[in-house]
Amino acid sequence: MDTSCQTRWDRLSRTYDWVTWGDDQRFAEAKSRLFAKMSGNCLMVAAGTGNDFHHFPRGLTITAIDISTGMIERARPRALEYLGQLDLRVMDVQALEFPDQTFDTVATACTFCSVPDPLLGLRELHRCLKPGGHILMFEHVRSRFGPIALLQDLMTPAFRWMGPDMNRDTVGNVLRAGFEVLHEDNIYVDVVKAVEARRPPCETTKE
Amino acid sequence: MTSNRRQRLLFATGDYLMGGGTGAATAAVVRVAIDPNLDMVLAMLFGMVLGMIAHLVIGAALSPLLGFFHLMVPGSLVGMYGGMLFAMRDTMQHPAGSLGHVAFVGVLFGFAVVAGVRVYDRALHSPHAHTDRTGGL
Repeated sequence: MDTSCQTRWDRLSRTYDWVTWGDDQRFAEAKSRLFAKMSGNCLMVAAGTGNDFHHFPRGLTITAIDISTGMIERARPRALEYLGQLDLRVMDVQALEFPDQTFDTVATACTFCSVPDPLLGLRELHRCLKPGGHILMFEHVRSRFGPIALLQDLMTPAFRWMGPDMNRDTVGNVLRAGFEVLHEDNIYVDVVKAVEARRPPCETTKE
Repeated sequence: MTSNRRQRLLFATGDYLMGGGTGAATAAVVRVAIDPNLDMVLAMLFGMVLGMIAHLVIGAALSPLLGFFHLMVPGSLVGMYGGMLFAMRDTMQHPAGSLGHVAFVGVLFGFAVVAGVRVYDRALHSPHAHTDRTGGL
């Protein structure tokens, strides 16, 4: 477990709901649309304070993980409100404790801007997804528009102490981890995206 | 008016106020802090830094309300590029006008950038499948 990352998010958990209020309001519709595609046995990575749980379809079996104990404690009341089965666990996405091919769907929301080694985390998710399983990601990435990308590059060192990198090529990392990208929708300019990818169904024959 | 529409209208108003405020603050800070006799290239670099600082201060205060990303993209464009432009104007154009005048121009610049980002966002907004990114690497 990355303890420096854990400590940072424990600290941020105290103000997280307040800091993200505006984003939660503005992206609610897009998140609900994306997470409506969740099905089967689901994994939610970086549950945070559980402020995305109300976007999940009812009646699912969901395991929600977060590296921060503080976040998980704050997520507990929201997990109890979910109309289905939602279990919370403290876990690092870079070292998942689940067996291979456990989940049908993985959901993430603003997660891979903060995972120290995003490719390692995505490969772990790839391992734990069943072949043909989907990963639904609501993430912010580096813009392809030069003036905005330059700003993101300049701002990343300033924001890193807080947690997220502003300029990651998360969609590229998804491909490098072995997923197929099915949809990549721009939610706010080309910085905030909803990405739907899957573990190729025929991959088991290669392994 | 539905609550969703009302909320969108309020956020749009907030975006324009933030853009205008960042533009005015950047223009005013650049005007006060940068000597008009300074070399223009240095003035533009200082203007960029001052604009970024103005944007970060305003951003820290408003991002919980308006959303981090809706504030970061136009706000940083106004701060960084506006800071450079205002510094260039102040060193090239003597006199550049009163503090009130430069702040007003800053507000207009902020509005224009917010409007431009909204148009760009609309153009990129439609969902599309990226078949060229399937499989791949």
